[in-house]
Amino acid sequence: MLSRMLGQGMNRRFAVVQALAAAILLFAVSCRHGDGPYPSKELKLIVQASPGGISDTVSRFMGSLIEKDLGVPVVCENKPGASGALAFSYVARRAPDGYTLGHASIEIAVVRTLGYADVGPDNMGLICLVSKTPAVLVVREEAPWNSFEDFIAAARKQRGGLILAHAGTGSIWHFNALLMEQAADIRVTYVPYGGTSRSLASLLGGHVDAVIAGTGEAIANVKAGRLKVLAVLDESRSQLYPETPTSHELGYNFGAPAWSGFFAPAGVPDAILERLEKAFRKGFASSKWARLCRERGMEAVFMGRKEFREFALQEAAFFGREIPQLLTLER
Amino acid sequence: MTADLLAGLTAVLQWEVLTFLAVGVVLGAIFGSLPGLTATMGVAVLTPLTFWVSAEQGLAMLLGIYCGAIPAGGIPAILINVPGTPASIATSWDGYALSKKGQAGLALGINALLSAVGQLTSIFFLAVAAFPIASFALRFGPAEYFGLALFGISLMAGVSGDRVIKGMLAGMLGLGIATVGLDPMTAYPRYTFGQSEFLDGISFVPVMIGLFGLAEVLIQISDRWGKLDQAPSKLGRIWPAWMEWKRMLPSTFTGAGIGTFVGAVPAAGGDIGSVIAWEQARRLSRNKEAFGKGSLEGLAASCSSCNGAIGGAMTTMLTLGIPGDAVSAVLIGALLIHGIQPGPLLFRDHRDFVFSIVFLMAFASMVMMVVGLLGAKPLARALRIPSPWLWAGIVMFGAIGSYALNNAVVDVWAMFVAGIVGFLLRKADVPLGPLVLGLILGPMMESNLRRALILGRGDWLGTLTSSSIVVFFMVATILSLLLPLLKKRRAG
Repeated sequence: MLSRMLGQGMNRRFAVVQALAAAILLFAVSCRHGDGPYPSKELKLIVQASPGGISDTVSRFMGSLIEKDLGVPVVCENKPGASGALAFSYVARRAPDGYTLGHASIEIAVVRTLGYADVGPDNMGLICLVSKTPAVLVVREEAPWNSFEDFIAAARKQRGGLILAHAGTGSIWHFNALLMEQAADIRVTYVPYGGTSRSLASLLGGHVDAVIAGTGEAIANVKAGRLKVLAVLDESRSQLYPETPTSHELGYNFGAPAWSGFFAPAGVPDAILERLEKAFRKGFASSKWARLCRERGMEAVFMGRKEFREFALQEAAFFGREIPQLLTLER
Repeated sequence: MTADLLAGLTAVLQWEVLTFLAVGVVLGAIFGSLPGLTATMGVAVLTPLTFWVSAEQGLAMLLGIYCGAIPAGGIPAILINVPGTPASIATSWDGYALSKKGQAGLALGINALLSAVGQLTSIFFLAVAAFPIASFALRFGPAEYFGLALFGISLMAGVSGDRVIKGMLAGMLGLGIATVGLDPMTAYPRYTFGQSEFLDGISFVPVMIGLFGLAEVLIQISDRWGKLDQAPSKLGRIWPAWMEWKRMLPSTFTGAGIGTFVGAVPAAGGDIGSVIAWEQARRLSRNKEAFGKGSLEGLAASCSSCNGAIGGAMTTMLTLGIPGDAVSAVLIGALLIHGIQPGPLLFRDHRDFVFSIVFLMAFASMVMMVVGLLGAKPLARALRIPSPWLWAGIVMFGAIGSYALNNAVVDVWAMFVAGIVGFLLRKADVPLGPLVLGLILGPMMESNLRRALILGRGDWLGTLTSSSIVVFFMVATILSLLLPLLKKRRAG
């Protein structure tokens, strides 16, 4: 067939087809990489949340910071859904060549226990952690409780008497509330909302008694004197609320801050992870990152790949152990 | 006060700022007019670009996108019956009918003009009454949201025209689809068949593109099977006549007012606002029958209300630091990066900046009006593209848009399935408006009823009469269902 066509002499249409094939082949070859030192082409950074949220901001910001060090573009792509499980398993299935990375929110340590996807820190190539966001317990300014102890005492008086809103069942702020119930031996009534901003609106409107949210999310209305923070649910004090005691200080040893990091598929060579860690460390050290953290109420904390791996595995083990137990707390 | 006003104005009246604003409006027009690319996406994707410029310049661009995208969403709704953003669903009901009558130019003109009127009205409300509006929005607790959603659902009958039973069935189908995904209270997966892609439910935008865009293409193909050469559509004039202005005036301001208030309520935006405004305008109108069949009043109500929602959403965002809709949620992040914390203190400490935002939005809506009017003629000419090309284009852009939303292939499948379902429903003469209402309002109604019952500790009657707003919505719901029946009886 081919020889017959060639024998007939190339008509114009065949020439066009050939040219197209050649172009496609050339394009395919030019897309291949691996000849030069890593990285030799653009990196894809998969974000597990919608555009505009904190995970998206952290990813796009860090992406633009590491671009300079790596010398190749970093393109962010959002794949929201199922608490991040879709994005995590998508990245975990990519080729371990270091050209597809993912944003690792605390949900990487949670989604397996929630049954959303069989993915966790143990089958990821973790790169680094860049920030931490503790939870706070907030109430309205005119609420009768002026300290965490007041709140706990009121909650103890009547089991389920106080109403607490959070960002949604299975969210990290929900787990913080459950941990609070367990540690202080109280029970509250939950109203789950689709996101922290709606739970805060409900608190401001006087529909619920308290909200557990991230440190930065409440700051505008705290500064304006409409809300007050009773406790920071963490080990050390928050820079945003230096006057507010922590749960640990008050003798309640609980608190599970949210965090942000980055990961690659498992099996990425350690040299590449090291190169990426170096780039992220450089970005982390810039004053721009410090400013973003300050403005969004995050704490700039850095962990390299080894430390982050250990930490994330610990977190996964903690949530794997605690979540089933917390969700069945007797009401 | 006057000093702040002047300071706010001078900060904006710089050629760099105005250039960024114009660029933003044009980008917004592109994002808004392509179904699947939403205003939220446009603002989110371009936010990082504004990190490196001043706050005024960055905001000029982002607000330009916001104010440009929503009116632009009406353009494909009018021309090809595919809403460019969810907010312009109601625009397609009358806009597309006008376009089929050969008045595409007029519909586009009204869209450009009255979108600007809606935006400017709501911006005026933002400037003079931000705090009263915000405190009204805060009074919306779960019971009030349930009331609003129930009232919205009761409009199903109105948007069904004379096919009430079929409309109800379509509405139930919409409510059914809305139950897919994690249970809003307990996070237990419902109807996901073990697929994690369905945990967040069926995405709304692909379903909308399928129901309206793909189904429209299939209908046209099946109607014109074998007779492709259709006469080129007329463009008609663009500017409305004086009588038409007078006729549209009441529904325009009804729309702008309803849009502003619904937009201010967090978690309810232009999509819900425009449907409610359209239905209210229909009730108040003398030509009820014309609604949905190319009524100028209906088009005016929907254009002004979905744009009125912009000012409303910005009001809640600026006064409380709490987003009124998805776009303003992204804008909060952008403001924070520029070192501006939206919230009550913004109005005390940076009043000039608030006025800057007001002026930026006002300029943006006027620029968009000019863009929309200038673009009406060339855009309406798109209808002269031979049908097969247009159809192929709609399917292609629909698929791309569905994928782009979440970068998920499952959304493209949802688009195709919704397209086929929509085609079959329309062949059976089932109205699609109620289906969309069920889809939008279902999650809001369900989750808020359950929240309200938690708060009311299970007391039904107490919950549904817990505040004047709830009672208002309950009465309005009952009236909206009963009044047509009573009128019919009297007439009969």
